[in-house]
Order: sequence, then C-alpha cells, then structure tokens
Amino acid sequence: MNERYIHVLCIAIVGIGLAVIAFLYSTEPRSFAEVATKSQVVLGTYEIDRAQFEKGVADFRAERFADARAAFSLADPERRDAATQFYIAYSFYRQGWGRLSNDDALFSAGLEIANRVIALDPNFRSTDDNLQIKTANELKTEFEEGLKITTDDFNPLKLTRERK
Amino acid sequence: MKENNPDEIIEKPSAEIAIRDKSRSSAATRSYVVLPLIFLAVTLLGGLRLSANDDSFVFLKPALVCLVFASATIVLFFRSRLIALDGWFSDGFSNLQMSANVAVAITLFTATTQLFNSLLPEHGLTFWVVGFCFFWTLWNNLFAEFDVRKLLRSLAAMFVLAFVVKYLLLANLTISTTGNWLQRLLENPAQESIAWLLDLPRYSSGTGYIQFFTLILYLIGLYLTPPMHKMRA
Repeated sequence: MNERYIHVLCIAIVGIGLAVIAFLYSTEPRSFAEVATKSQVVLGTYEIDRAQFEKGVADFRAERFADARAAFSLADPERRDAATQFYIAYSFYRQGWGRLSNDDALFSAGLEIANRVIALDPNFRSTDDNLQIKTANELKTEFEEGLKITTDDFNPLKLTRERK
Repeated sequence: MKENNPDEIIEKPSAEIAIRDKSRSSAATRSYVVLPLIFLAVTLLGGLRLSANDDSFVFLKPALVCLVFASATIVLFFRSRLIALDGWFSDGFSNLQMSANVAVAITLFTATTQLFNSLLPEHGLTFWVVGFCFFWTLWNNLFAEFDVRKLLRSLAAMFVLAFVVKYLLLANLTISTTGNWLQRLLENPAQESIAWLLDLPRYSSGTGYIQFFTLILYLIGLYLTPPMHKMRA
C-alpha cells in the first residue's frame, strides 16, 4: 500500500479511536446495550420504547405506580424524554399524596424528577386529559408545598381536598 | 568464467527495490496501523473495571498523577532514544507523515497514562504507597544513563511488579463479596479488616484478566515502537 494512504489511515484510526474512547469514558455505559443507547443519544436518533411507555401509562392509570415507573424507566433508559419523566414524577405525586400527610420520601423523589423535566423542556405541557396537573412547574409546586410544614397543614378543611 | 547476462543485471536491482519497497510498506503498516491500534486498545482497557455485583462496566478516568507519571515516562523514552525526537518530528517529513507521527505519539501518551491508571490502586493508602514507588522509580530513572534495552527491562519489571501487587496481592484481600459485612467480618476477620483499613475497592475477578492483557499489549506496543530510521520518509 502507498505510504501516503497508510499515513491517512493512521490519522483516521487515531481520530476515530480517541473519539470513541472519549465518548465511552464521558458517558460511562454499564453494558453493551447501554453503549448502543448512548450512541443513539449522541447521534440524535434516540427514541423511547413506545410499547413500554404505553404499558407504563396503563399501569399509571390503574394506580400500579411502582410498575408504571419500572415500565417508564425501561421506555426511557436515558431519562431524556420530558413526557415519560413527567409521568414518573406524577406517579410519585399520586402514590405519595395523603389526605392527612404526604410521603416525604416519594415527594422528594418526585421533586427531583420534576426538576429534571423542567431542565429537559421548560415549556413542557402534558396532553393527557386525565391529568389535572399539566406542567412540570405546577407539579413542582405541589411537591414543594407537600414537603413544607405550615399552619395550613393543621386546617381541618384540608381533609376535604382531593388528589389531582 | 560465467558471463553476466545483461537482462539479469537489469532485473537484479528492480527485484531488490521491490523487496525493499515491500519491507518498507510492511514497516509502515506496523508503525502506523498496528501500533496505534495496540495503544488505542490499551487506552480503552486501562480504565475499565468490572463491577463486583453484576459484572457491569466501570470506566475510571485517570487521576492527575497518572498524567504526570506518563509525561515522565515519555521523557524517559526520549532520553533513552526509544523514541528519537528528530526521528519522529523533523522538518524533513511531509506534513502528512508528521501528522501521522504526532497521532502515534498521542496514542503512546494516552496508553501510558491509562496503564498507570490500570496499575495504580484507585484510592486510599495503597494509592499513595504504590504511587510513591512509581514516582521514586521514574525520578531515579530520569537521571540515570539508559539504553533502550535497559529501559524496557526496567519499565517491564516495574509494571509487572505493580500488576502483581494490585491484581494478585491486594485483589485477594477484597475478593469476598458474598454475604453482608457482619457475616464477612465473622467468617474472615483479618481479610475484612485489611480491606476496610486499606479502603480497597471490590471488582469482579474478570478485571484482573482484562488488565493482564492490557499490560501485555502495552509491552508489545513498546517493543514494536520503531527507532528513528524506520520512521524516516
């Protein structure tokens, strides 16, 4: 082979090789499957698993929140889809909501996911008519209010409120 | 007396040229294709560990001290003429060949960095002890008179010793991963105490195999690294 071609090949091998290694060390995939998913993210071809998403929505509506979250996690392993993450946050809200008191652990986890939705898409608005809370900001407010202890928490009328 | 056939006289040099071209092409392939592939493999595998829980990949970025050690090692390569500066980077080369030489040198540096990343314990007391041993050896070598063979022998000995310490000696102290910490402490108090005191991370046994081949690949790469005259255009 002509030496010029060998030099070009060398530069190409090193360039591509170092790019792949930098990609692997920056994204830190834990398996070969994750390598493929993270590559899709980088290439801009990442899509959620629609079947798992639909299963998650069905579980969410049937109030099987843990199952719903598992399905949503499988649908969006890279946690980059605002709609899927919104459902996960909403599942924490519905599961953690209580007429007398809320579950702080679930609300804290939900708050974290709601913040993630805002970071992914600040203008996100759910199109699901069954949900009373439509945006991540509203959901975030619900979580923050639920985590605070205020005089309102001792108001007997609070017992009449409904879960959204 | 046998008379020379004029055709043979013409054919002989052309045959020699063909052999020389073939040899030159194969040397170029080795230096510019095989060598960077070896060093890239070392760069990739040097920071790879397998989790003790589920054998999943753990990619560890090199600590800053690995870059310092790698820089010192590269200086050693130049001093001992394993890499002749004027043989790799010279005005006599075309821009393309110079770029290829720089690319190979970069892979050598990244591979060396990752080899230190592979051989240095991740953290704790052992990190500092082994790190100091590396530092002491490299520092002394920087001021010693070396030839290529001696340097390669010295580096191979240092790397093999570090491998034995980390992946045979220390790894055996942290190999138990079954049961909770109390159960492990009751069953094997000395091992658990040492692992706790030295702050040794737990990895799958497959990590040792990967790093063994990484070390072997790196040493093969160093052996194949060409002297200056083979790099000349």
